[in-house]
Amino acid sequence: MTQPNLLRRLKPPVVGALYALNAFCAFHLFFNYVGSIQLVSGPSMLPTMAEVGEAVIENRLSFWFNPGCLKRGDLVTFESPLTPGRLVCKRLLGLPGDTVCVDPTGLKAPSSEHVVVPRGHIWLMGDNADLSRDSRDYGPVPLSLVRGTLWARVYPFNRVTIFRNPTSLLQ
Amino acid sequence: MHNPGRPFRLVGQLSRNVYDYWKAASSTTRPFVRRVQSALYWLPTLIVFTQVGCTVRTVTGNSMQPTLNPDLSRPRDVAIFNRWSVVIERRYERGDIVAFRSPREHGKLLVKRLIALPGDKVKTLPPHPETEVTIPAGHGWLEGDAPFNSEDSNHFGPVPLALIDSKLTWVFWPVDRAGFRRFPFEWPPG
Repeated sequence: MTQPNLLRRLKPPVVGALYALNAFCAFHLFFNYVGSIQLVSGPSMLPTMAEVGEAVIENRLSFWFNPGCLKRGDLVTFESPLTPGRLVCKRLLGLPGDTVCVDPTGLKAPSSEHVVVPRGHIWLMGDNADLSRDSRDYGPVPLSLVRGTLWARVYPFNRVTIFRNPTSLLQ
Repeated sequence: MHNPGRPFRLVGQLSRNVYDYWKAASSTTRPFVRRVQSALYWLPTLIVFTQVGCTVRTVTGNSMQPTLNPDLSRPRDVAIFNRWSVVIERRYERGDIVAFRSPREHGKLLVKRLIALPGDKVKTLPPHPETEVTIPAGHGWLEGDAPFNSEDSNHFGPVPLALIDSKLTWVFWPVDRAGFRRFPFEWPPG
């Protein structure tokens, strides 16, 4: 009589754990494909985002549905080409076919050097050129590494902002 | 903590409540509808399993001949691709046959062999402008087994390892090509 008893006692937690796992997976999928709140850290985007203690909403849905939605000046999140699995955020400067100046500050390359962004790639740079590892180090980034864009900052509450695209066209 | 089983019992209780609520909310008694509902309910687990566990894919094209698709007049090879060792363990080994997202075309998957890892020196093949390349940090060199018939690192240079999606572990179709060999076999050549 022990066997059925044991089964009866074991069944609820096992079934419960399966349901919990399913709920966890559903949340995971939502965060992966729709969007999530992410903590940002690091000095590379300094005037726009502080070094520590800021949280932003990441929008993954737009890029997932329409990879052409990226515009010059957007804040883009992508997997670092140097460290697999690490998510980084930089500003998009060049789309495929654009001619970009490798480093306008002349820190990492002579400021006269220009490259054409190849097909399927984008050019990304941190707002804080002094303390940023970006396309100047690893070159144009494949679009397949891009995850999404940043939509708004939600924490700290006195600095809540919706990120606007700051670029303007010179006629 | 006096009762080590308590958190598990709490999770079980909570999920059972969710389960009961779900049952009560779907008031239909038609078995087909109920089955579809339950399949939909468990879909997230299935999708996440294919994302972090393993998935099944058909290999098209002839760039991996003679290892994959040795005879294009026959059905294409269908294989199990292991995502766990790539996405979770981040284990990359020279000689692995991997599927990776094309650096040139967004949304396209390619199947090639991982030849070199960061720090290695590779001798390139014709379309590449240089004769020898040192692989930078976080990158790898991917090449087809039929080098003159494939679009690979000789065309677009070292590829970020982050683009690698999964690792081919077992070809199970066509049946006569299946066996208990684990890929990659016959590597390094000679």
